Amino acid sequence: MACRAVDWRELHNHRHPGTMFKLTGRGSITTCDGISRRDFLEVGALGTLGLSLAKMAALQAAGAAPPGNDERSVIMIFNLGAPSQIDTFDMKPEAASEIRGPFKPIRTKNPDLQISEILPLHAKLADKFSLVRSCYHTAPAVHDTGHQMMQTGRLFSGGVNTPHAGCALEFLRGRRNELPAHIILPEPMGPTGGNMPHGQDAGFLGKAYDPFALMADPSRKDFKVPDLLPPTEIGEVRLARRRELRSIVDSTVKNFEASPSAALMDTNFASAYRLMTSSKAREAFDLNQEPVKVRERYGMTRFGQCCLLSRRLIEAGVRFVTINTFITVFDEITWDIHGSKPFTSIAGMKDIVAPMYDQGYSALLEDLFDRGLLDKTLVCNLSEFGRTPKINPAGGRDHWPNCWTTYFAGGGVKGGRIVGKSDEIGAYPVERPVKPAEVAATIYHSLGIDLETKLPGPQSRPYPLVDYGTQPITELF
Amino acid sequence: MNSRILVVCLGVGLSLVSARAETTNRQLSILPNKITLTGIAARQQLLAEEWVGAEAVGPATGPVTYTVVPPEVARVENGIVVPLTNGVGMIVASTDQRTNSIPITIEGMDRPFQWSFRNHVQPVLAKTGCSAGACHGAAAGQNGFRLSLRGYDDDGDFAALTRNALGRRVNPSDPGRSLMLLKPTGALPHKGGKRFEVGSPEYRVLSEWIAAGTPKSSESDARIERITILPSSVRLQAGDTQPLLVTAWFSDGHTEDVTRWTKYTAANASVAQIDEQGRVTVTGQGEGAITAWYLSRIAVATITVPFTDPPRPEAFSSLAGGNFIDELVLEKLRSLNLPPSGDCGDTAFIRRLFIDAMGVLPTAAEVKAFAADNSPNKRDALIEKVLARPEFVDYWTYKWSDLFLVSSKRLSTPAMWAYYQWIRSNVSANTSWDQFSRQVITARGSSLEHGAGNFYVLHDDPLTLTETTSLAFLGMSVNCARCHNHPMEKWTNDQYFGMANLFARVRLKAGTHDGEVTVFADSEGELIQPLTGKPQAPRPLDGNPLPPNFSGDRREALADWLVSRDNPYFAKAIVNRIWANYLGAGLVENVDDLRATNPASNEKLFAAAASYLADHHYDLKELMRAILRSKTYQRTSEALRENASDTRFYSHYYPRRIAAEVLLDAIAQATDSPTVFPNYPAGYRASQLPDANVESYFLKTFGRPERNATCSCERTVEPSITQVLHLANGNTINARLSDPKNRISKLLEQKAVPSVLVEEAYYATVSRPPSSTESAKLVAILAEASDAEKRTALEDVYWALLSSKEFLFNH
Repeated sequence: MACRAVDWRELHNHRHPGTMFKLTGRGSITTCDGISRRDFLEVGALGTLGLSLAKMAALQAAGAAPPGNDERSVIMIFNLGAPSQIDTFDMKPEAASEIRGPFKPIRTKNPDLQISEILPLHAKLADKFSLVRSCYHTAPAVHDTGHQMMQTGRLFSGGVNTPHAGCALEFLRGRRNELPAHIILPEPMGPTGGNMPHGQDAGFLGKAYDPFALMADPSRKDFKVPDLLPPTEIGEVRLARRRELRSIVDSTVKNFEASPSAALMDTNFASAYRLMTSSKAREAFDLNQEPVKVRERYGMTRFGQCCLLSRRLIEAGVRFVTINTFITVFDEITWDIHGSKPFTSIAGMKDIVAPMYDQGYSALLEDLFDRGLLDKTLVCNLSEFGRTPKINPAGGRDHWPNCWTTYFAGGGVKGGRIVGKSDEIGAYPVERPVKPAEVAATIYHSLGIDLETKLPGPQSRPYPLVDYGTQPITELF
Repeated sequence: MNSRILVVCLGVGLSLVSARAETTNRQLSILPNKITLTGIAARQQLLAEEWVGAEAVGPATGPVTYTVVPPEVARVENGIVVPLTNGVGMIVASTDQRTNSIPITIEGMDRPFQWSFRNHVQPVLAKTGCSAGACHGAAAGQNGFRLSLRGYDDDGDFAALTRNALGRRVNPSDPGRSLMLLKPTGALPHKGGKRFEVGSPEYRVLSEWIAAGTPKSSESDARIERITILPSSVRLQAGDTQPLLVTAWFSDGHTEDVTRWTKYTAANASVAQIDEQGRVTVTGQGEGAITAWYLSRIAVATITVPFTDPPRPEAFSSLAGGNFIDELVLEKLRSLNLPPSGDCGDTAFIRRLFIDAMGVLPTAAEVKAFAADNSPNKRDALIEKVLARPEFVDYWTYKWSDLFLVSSKRLSTPAMWAYYQWIRSNVSANTSWDQFSRQVITARGSSLEHGAGNFYVLHDDPLTLTETTSLAFLGMSVNCARCHNHPMEKWTNDQYFGMANLFARVRLKAGTHDGEVTVFADSEGELIQPLTGKPQAPRPLDGNPLPPNFSGDRREALADWLVSRDNPYFAKAIVNRIWANYLGAGLVENVDDLRATNPASNEKLFAAAASYLADHHYDLKELMRAILRSKTYQRTSEALRENASDTRFYSHYYPRRIAAEVLLDAIAQATDSPTVFPNYPAGYRASQLPDANVESYFLKTFGRPERNATCSCERTVEPSITQVLHLANGNTINARLSDPKNRISKLLEQKAVPSVLVEEAYYATVSRPPSSTESAKLVAILAEASDAEKRTALEDVYWALLSSKEFLFNH
């Protein structure tokens, strides 16, 4: 209950002045023209009363965090570029050579599971994570659509951009301390060919709920959060004076009151001050506090150090960290193995991508486990689609949204399970097909968020967190 | 508080009065207003719509009775007209208050009827989702059964249904046992679920077509020409619903009611949504568009939902005058109950104009001189001065360099410079946009001598050229049509390859200098359309195909079509880019997303501005003049209570964060401490850089485009926490504030008194004098500071101004 009350206060404090609702002292919502908005009272009620005791017990039994329990966090590793399911977690050794590809399956800690030889460290942890081998989507096979669906649960349409799960979480629960609730490492997704939004922001919730983006490579020697600290000559006295002066200067001009973009600038100033003055933030971002051995265990790669940083951030109280394994498919060696330039070859995946990925992920999972954080932290490894079962003339594989594998660990997920099954060439699910919306629901479920929660959508209309009837992948829990 | 309540009450009273007046003015009208039914299978849904004047305002409330005179020609069942015999007559509709009638003609009842594969079966397969991308329309089909996406390939789909799978999909001797009926009705397991019922109209079309022996459509059969939607525009209120009617017009002159088999999408779901049956539901205020799609033809209905707060009566009365832009903007604002804000004032105008037109701040002297000028035409005179300034050339060269991807990332440095200088010399000469575009499209020779040739170096295959040309010059994406008919536009796969074949003979050859490429046109070479395996006749999108004996450079024909007045997209695309630059939001958003299914926020204004530009021989400065002189451009950014939520209709000037390069230059100018770019002469401003491949954390963080792909999405002006951290702690502002040669040092050397220091700081940053309150507060803080503290205190005043919204935003 208490948690809900905070939600609505957050809602008021962070909404742009241009939007229409206000919170009165008694917790009812009114619009600016003074008319009480019944639908919003109902939204509030749904959030609180909708959780009966029986339902709460059922949720707990099913692995979801108890509602109101704030302990669960999420690390979402987004494998931009899209790994080939057949060359990683859903091998088809019996299929023809142009299907099965060059790699051999190896045994894992899970006796029922074999995975690709290019991920040997994953194999040792196969009792800790569980695979979903039957993800699929039906949108056009460009990267951007899959990014939208996997991270927000929906394909954008009609000008309505739905929020990333981490942004929805920030909206519903706020941040735990001075640190942002949702952080993207190392930076938001760049161009992947479709010229569409990637679903890495707060969409219709408003830019105030956008994640904080690191905008730096934590594997660099000189790594620090850009501009987190004032220059040495600006001491506390000057900082205070600057703030006072700025509020004098900024309070006089009325032209911006109605502008969402200007209101956002104010919100950003508030967030930036909070971050600058937080010793907790400073420490969390300081990778030099980690022993060299630990840093090296994660791998001195951008991805590896992002994994390490994500663990530090979760420990410091961040609710949701999104790691983009890659930023774009154009200037990098990625999972996007078309085989032709400017994309990656199967060899590039084996020699460069898989080793750094295997090392970073396995280090993260072990570290979370050793520190007792794994049960409190859902680690989900997602991608926008799979790849064509048949190897193309360039020796690569192209986009294939009809079937691919995602995997989950921690956060209530029981390890060592395999959900769903693909056909004999990894082309289509034959058992338990899973839509992107179900992945989003699984994340909310792990966090103990009622799937019937409504968000304030465009024009302030209640907007369901997930489409009606969407269920989490309960077999994982 | 009391006065607010009063205003609200007054508002309610007024709206009641006007609502009552409207009720008595309402007329009833039947849609469509004339019906011709051809053949026994023809049907027509009727719609009784209420009108006020020439405006549709929603379906008739209460029951409507229809009578056919004479009754033997047709009957009306549940609002659907069913033909009985050839003849003419009337349909009379009556409600309890009003009646109206329309003429009806029934014909072709004596001719045999047969469902057409092309005109009836394909739409059923599209509407029920069989040929959707998620099902059998996927590139690889589904479960071994592949249809073309929404049925763009009649021959292929006909074969897939009648020949493949051993012909089991159709069974003419026992149609009910055809797979194409058993599966979608759920009689046999179907992964796609049940798509329609046995006995439904969909079932009827498919089963009767199968029973007739699956006739194939011949070349001479009627072809669809266009579709129309009714009502094409309607004004509704919150909570209203409105059914739509869609009519298909065929080449033999007959029409069909295709409402049931049309696919609908809502372009702005926060204003209006639509269901499968073509019924609109209002969800919010503003303007929404509904797109109807049938057999690759498109029609759009506009839904206007006025803002509910009725404006004060005087809001529009004092707004006479202004140019064509003002007239059309006001017309739109009136229809939406959005009163416009007032004039911006002189100091706001000069700052705004300088930033929008040439990317620099006015100096203190310029602001003071302009404020002191008493001549009545001083704004027009200032506009002329700005349009003639060298910074105007810098700014617009930068803008077009974004569009044409000038960067040393993919071009050698000499080539990058040649490309940039070519653009710059044309901006400087104010080359008309049609000439400019023609020179790019037909570029030939050395890419160093004629820099435009680098367009062909960056885009070196016909498909990329087709897509980039469309985006750059027509403001629209045709990419979808590369693989199949564009699902949201009229562009077909054939049109795409017809266009691409215009580029099939462009050749590149390495030159003798670094970065030199020679562009020339070969006399042979064709691009194969993969669907047919044959070359697609070269043709510019919906222009005329080239004559078969055409022997010149095909790009000349493309350029002729591109810039001709008959091409409606060319002028609009550039108008939208320029409009968005000055007004902060394109008439179409995003600026390069022009398509029938994404209408402009003011179509009349869009058309008028495009004609204006064409009438003025594509002289961009003429268009800019008209925009800058308009009262619309000169409105204050201060919103009224009634127009605060408007972001598309220009009721006030929309404040926006200044673009990365301009903002960096403004900080340098305000502090009098220039940016140093490695390898560029001292004093070079960011807006003068030819190249986007110049390292700058500030420019990256504030959203400079990388110039990788032609797309307005590459630039962002959204504020972020990262930007704020940089303003507060980064070196862009801080290093300039402590620069010993900066403005602060000079003022302190002159021993200026605190009031002068504050005034100078305001002029240098926010281009206005401080108010007396502002001055008093800041002077007090400066006066308090000890001598040793004086400089840092002044630095902090500048910091506060440079990080204020008033500075960071254009407003």
